[in-house]
Parts: sequence; C-alpha cells; structure tokens
Amino acid sequence: MSYKKKSIRTIRPGRKREKWTDIFPRYLTFISHMRPILRETRRIIADLDADLLLDTEILDKIREEEEKRNIRKVRALSEFSAMYRSNVYEIIKDFIIKYRETIPIIDIKDYIIEFLYESIDALNLLRHITNPDESDLEKTYLFILVKFLEEKLFPRGTNLNIIYEKLLKSASEFYECQRHILQPHTYYREKIDNPDLFEIPGMSPKIYQIINNITSLFNLDPNFGEYPEKDKIELPMILKNEIFMPYIDAIANAEIESIENIAERIGLRPVNEIFLAPSHDFVDILLKSNFLREIKQQDGTIRLSPQFSNETLILYYLAFASQRRGFLSKELINWISMNFAFLIYMGLLKWKLSDENIFYAIFKDLQTNEKILPYLMKLICFPNYLGLDKMKIRDSVQYRKEIFNFIGSTIDNLKELISEIAIYCEKFDKERKNK
Amino acid sequence: MSEFQDVTWKELLQNFEKSIALAIEKLQSRDIENIPGAKDALVQRLENIKLYFPKNNGDLFLKSIDDKIQNGFFPNTKNFPKAFSKILKSRTHEQDFVINELLNGFVASKAKAIALGTQGPVIDRMVEAFSKRNDFHIVDYQFFAMFGDPNKPKHYIQKQLEELINMFGLVSKQLIIEKDVRKSEQKIYTFYTFPDEIIKILEEKYLIIDEKLGYTYVSETFDRNVFICMFLANIAINRDNIEKIGGSYTINGISSIFALILLLSFMPKLSVDETNPILNDPSFDQNNMSVIPKSWMMNQVLQSLFEPLIKIVAYRLGGGLWLTKIIDSEVNKKIMNQIRFLLKDVNKWILGNLCRVEIPIFVEIANIFTEILVGYEED
Repeated sequence: MSYKKKSIRTIRPGRKREKWTDIFPRYLTFISHMRPILRETRRIIADLDADLLLDTEILDKIREEEEKRNIRKVRALSEFSAMYRSNVYEIIKDFIIKYRETIPIIDIKDYIIEFLYESIDALNLLRHITNPDESDLEKTYLFILVKFLEEKLFPRGTNLNIIYEKLLKSASEFYECQRHILQPHTYYREKIDNPDLFEIPGMSPKIYQIINNITSLFNLDPNFGEYPEKDKIELPMILKNEIFMPYIDAIANAEIESIENIAERIGLRPVNEIFLAPSHDFVDILLKSNFLREIKQQDGTIRLSPQFSNETLILYYLAFASQRRGFLSKELINWISMNFAFLIYMGLLKWKLSDENIFYAIFKDLQTNEKILPYLMKLICFPNYLGLDKMKIRDSVQYRKEIFNFIGSTIDNLKELISEIAIYCEKFDKERKNK
Repeated sequence: MSEFQDVTWKELLQNFEKSIALAIEKLQSRDIENIPGAKDALVQRLENIKLYFPKNNGDLFLKSIDDKIQNGFFPNTKNFPKAFSKILKSRTHEQDFVINELLNGFVASKAKAIALGTQGPVIDRMVEAFSKRNDFHIVDYQFFAMFGDPNKPKHYIQKQLEELINMFGLVSKQLIIEKDVRKSEQKIYTFYTFPDEIIKILEEKYLIIDEKLGYTYVSETFDRNVFICMFLANIAINRDNIEKIGGSYTINGISSIFALILLLSFMPKLSVDETNPILNDPSFDQNNMSVIPKSWMMNQVLQSLFEPLIKIVAYRLGGGLWLTKIIDSEVNKKIMNQIRFLLKDVNKWILGNLCRVEIPIFVEIANIFTEILVGYEED
C-alpha cells in the first residue's frame, strides 16, 4: 500500500479558472514597477543642476548607480525594470543631445520634468483603471470605456434587431472599426468546418470577399421566389454556385462545403438547396433599415427588392457574433478583447500624454504592450464587461507576438476612435469632478 | 517593325470596337437599373466610346494610358529612382485608398506566395520591421524571427526573403563578425535597406534623419504604400525582363488592374432624384462620390469589355512581349472575375446603388474623354 499523497488536481496547471482577484494584481505588476522608476528619474532630474545635464556621461553614471539599487528578486521583473530604466535614460539623453544647441538647457530640463509628470500621471491612471474588488464599478474608467466601445462596436441587446440597429447607428463613423474587429489576423488558425456547429469563427479575407460577392449578386441580378413563411410575397435569392464562380481550382473548397454555416452568420438561409435568401428574422431588419424595398407587382404580389450597402451583411455577422458571444471561437475572442484592450490603453494615453511627449514611444513599445495588454484583455472579458470566455485567452508569448504585430499597422479609423475615447475620458472626468 | 506594330494596334482597336458593340447588345437585352435613365446613359456612353476611342489611331487610349496611367503608376523609364519618385508623387489620400485596395490584394498574394506558411500581412510587417529600428535597415535575423517557422529548416525562409527583397527592389549589405560571443564562430549578418537614391527621395517626407545622433527613423507617413510604389517601380523598369518581374502572372495582374482603372474612369455619373434615400445616407459623400450605372458590372457586359481592354493596356505597357503573355483561356475569365471582387472595395454599394469614389486618376481620364468629346462636337 502506498502512502504517497495523491494529487486532487483534475485540471491542468495554468488552465484553472482565474478570478478577478487573481488577474488584477498581475495587471498591476508591471505598471507598479514602471511608476517608481519614472518618479525616481523625475526627482533626480529635478534635483540636478540644469548645466550638468549637458554632460550626458553624468546621466550614464546616475543610471549605473540606480541599477545597483535594484533589489528585486524576480528575474523577469528585474530584467524589465533594467530595460525600462535604460530606455527612459536613453530617451532623455537623445532629447538633450538633439536640442541642447537650439533650446536653453533650463528649458530642456523643464520639458523633461513635464513629460515625466505626464507619464507618471498616465501610469497612475492605468493603475486606478478599476477597483481591486470591483466595487462601484460604474464609476471606473475600465467599465465606462468598455461600455462606450461596446455600444459602438459590439453592442448588447435583447434581440438581433436591437443589436443591428445600434451597429448601424455608429456605422457611419466607425464601420471600418466594426469590420476590423471581425477579422482576426490569425484567421489561418480558424477551422471553417468546425465540428462544433455553434462556434462562430472570425471573418477571413476569403469569407470577406465571398460576402462582398453576395452583396453584389443581390444588388445586380437577384432571382425572386416564394416567401416560405408569407403568402403573396416574393423573396430575393441568389444561386449558391454563382458565388464561387471566380475561384480557380480548389481554393475555395472549404468555403463551398460550409456555405450554409457562412450563410447563417450573415442572415441568409438555403432555399430549395440551390438558392440563398434572407432569413425570416433578417427580412424585418432589412425592411426597417431600407435595405429591402417593397414593390407591388401587377398580380398583387409584393416583391422585396434588395438594395444592400457594403455594410448590410457584415453588420449582421457582427450582430450575430455579439448576440452569441458565448460561442465565439478562440481566435475571435483573443482578437476582440485585444482590440478593446488596445483601444482603451491608447485612448487613456492619448488623453494623458501630449503628442510631443518623448516617452510615448516606451508606452507604445511592443515590450511594454505585452506586459500590460494581456491582463487587460482578461479583465475586459469578465461578465460585467464584455462577458466573453476568458479561458480562451491564450497565454503563449509567441501567440501574443503574433497578434500584437497588428498594432504597427493600425487603420486610420481606429486612430479616430482612439481620439474619441480621449475626448470621452475628458468629459467623464469633468462630470465626475463636478458632482 | 513599326508596320507590324501598327497592324497589331489596329487589330486591338478593332477588337475593342467589336466588344463594345457586343456589350451594348447585351445591355439592351436586360435592365437591372433602378434609377430612371441609367441604362440609357450607359448605352450612350458606350456608343460614344465606340465612336471616339478608335479615332486618330486610338488617340484617347494613348492619352489615358501613356500619359495618365503610366505617368502616375508605371513610368516608362529604366531609371529606378525616377520611376519611384513619379509614382510616389502621384499619391493622394483618396487615391492611396483605392490603389491600396486594387494593388494590395495583388501584392499581398504575390508576397504570400513567396513567404509561404507565414500567412500574416507581409507588407505590414515589413513596415513594422523598418519602424522598429533607428537605422532604417532590417536584419535577416529579424526577418527570420518574424516569418520563420522553428520547425522548418532556415534555408527555406532565406530563399523567400531574397525573393521578397527582389520583389521590392531592396539592397543588401553584409556585416561579418569573425568571432561571435556565444560560440566564437564567424557570423554573417545581412542588412537590407532601400537603395541610396531611393532613401534620398524618402528623406523629403518619409524619413526623419537625426544627424547628431546618427539615427534614421521612419515618419508616420511611411506606410505600406511606399512598398507598393517600390513594387510598381521595380516592375516598370524591368518590364522587358519577364522572368525578373515574375512571369505572365504579373503581366496579367498589372494589365487587369489598369484596365479596371480605365473602365472605372469611363463610366457616366448619374444624377439622382432629390428624394432618393441615398442622398440622406451618412456614408454617401456628394463631394467625392458619384452614382454610376450598375449594369456595367453585369458579368456579360464586363466580360466582353474587359478582355480587349486588358490586351490594349498590355500592348501599351509592354508592347508585343506583354501582349503575347496575356492568357486567353477560361482561367483568364476567372482572373477577371477575381478582379471584379476588387470593385466592391473600390466602389461602394450604398442602398443598392453603385457609387464611385472620385479619385484624381479617374477624374483625369474622364476629363480627357470629355475634352475630346466636346472637341469633336464643336468640329
């Protein structure tokens, strides 16, 4: 008989359900190490005689001294702190060398201190983005910003009609962002033909092409057939085969085989096995949004003539994903939560840092991003926020690199949304102070 | 030689005339327009094109393709910096958007074919790689880290990198380290950057040079379109060397895209009734958009127009050499259909109406047509 104690753990380590109180401290870890470095640096620069700044070797020596004081035991943290401190000092040095002949050194010193003040303020805000115990969450930046973005990009509603209407309302300003959050850059990891029929994958470039083609076919040359649920009404429909005409060889085979699943996500249904037509629920939405027009025929029947816009079917896909947010694929959950985290992070920075702040680059650096955003992504997934399955957020460093790569190629519309967030923060802050 | 060219050119013009007649015939048999007068406007426009384009030895084509398209996107020169500079200068914000949509898919699919298995947006990551450094270089190891697969031998990715470098016309410099710190072995790093003359052109707007620190940063305006300009310039100057530019696939792709620009420029603007809901749609901007007849996107119409037009463009860009490379088969029809996909991004569907975004190249070509039309009428 063995007296060895048996493990009672039944789930793999690292895959256990993490609570708010597990993740929030991790989110704070790196931020709380960045702030003291900036505060120390600000104190040192403020105490230093401005003329001494002209000699950059002095700054090097100060940094060496500061590094000696490093007493952190965790290797990852001490490495990060060293990297962060050296970046801060390098930026200060470069700034001094660049402007020492054109701007008086006393002004350079003032600028550096001001930029440091701004950065510390931004870090302070990031530290207090929410409460450790989620109390008073309606008053926290994380909550109000997630809700602000959610309303525009991924709204909630009791039915598809309400969600679609909300999306359509903000489409004139942010359609490109709405489309963007449906298109994970890691689409090649998605399975189109997933055995789990309920799972909703992101929109790959090929599916996007197919949806565009469907839009054109409806607008250009629709067939009309009987409306299965209603008498004397004709429904527009297109041939399934026509959608795939442009594809050479077998490059769209996977999509051809799963066309019915794809169709369901954009509000279409198969009719007589060879056609695709709008589903019963979608017809009401289309009529309301003026994407279908009723034309009375001579024989008394009413023909529903399609007049789709580029966004008609894409927004349905987004509304469908939003309504069934519990069934999103791993790639889509990672992508959506990363975009929300990125927008919130950049929005707060935009509000707190002036555009010319020399430390902006450190905040935007991939090394800083990958320390903060993954935890922010998880926080955003909690039920009070986006309500996505945070167990699907990947922790692999390689994967994070893969998805964070998109940050270098942000679309203009995302930048506009970041500016909107900054304006909204300012407004919220004022209102809070006035109360 | 010139006699032969004339015969070919005449043949191409005649084929174009025939195809227009065919398109008009197809158009007459169907009506898919919802705006009154749209079909008539398109028929009238096609009649005018049939009448005036072949006149004066295809003078309108010469002006549209040689003067406008080549000048802006495909300069007829052997000088790489000159070609690049011309393409770069024709950039405007709106035009970028359209050219991006038109060419990006083409460049991306070509780049993707090269960087097999990487799947990611290659051009975006090249931009990212250049943005990350302060010397305007990328290193082969940086590239391997971005695109390499740790489970596959490195020489695959090395070859792919070389092809990408050739595609964009970048140059390489080697740094040999006799003993590296880890293994005390010789190590060779290859740095890639833009040619010196190109860097000089980029300095005007796309690069920030810090002479004191010796750094070169990219500015915010440095984007994927810089690579697209490099790609176009590289093909333009090497147009006679088919192998170097990627074979008949490139020729067919480039000719189709420019044919599409021509087609988009030919289409008449429609005036819509003031009660038309499109005027109240927030995504319709009356200042830089116009409603065009949607029947020209009908498969039957587009197919008959597209084929001769691609050949005309190919002949003007690369002479007989390019013309012989235009694929005349079912596959080509599929390629044409794929190009049609691009239309939905270049044009917008707004409440069932096809809207064209008025970018300079469309306006310029349309203006040539209008000028000549008015000229003939006055005569």
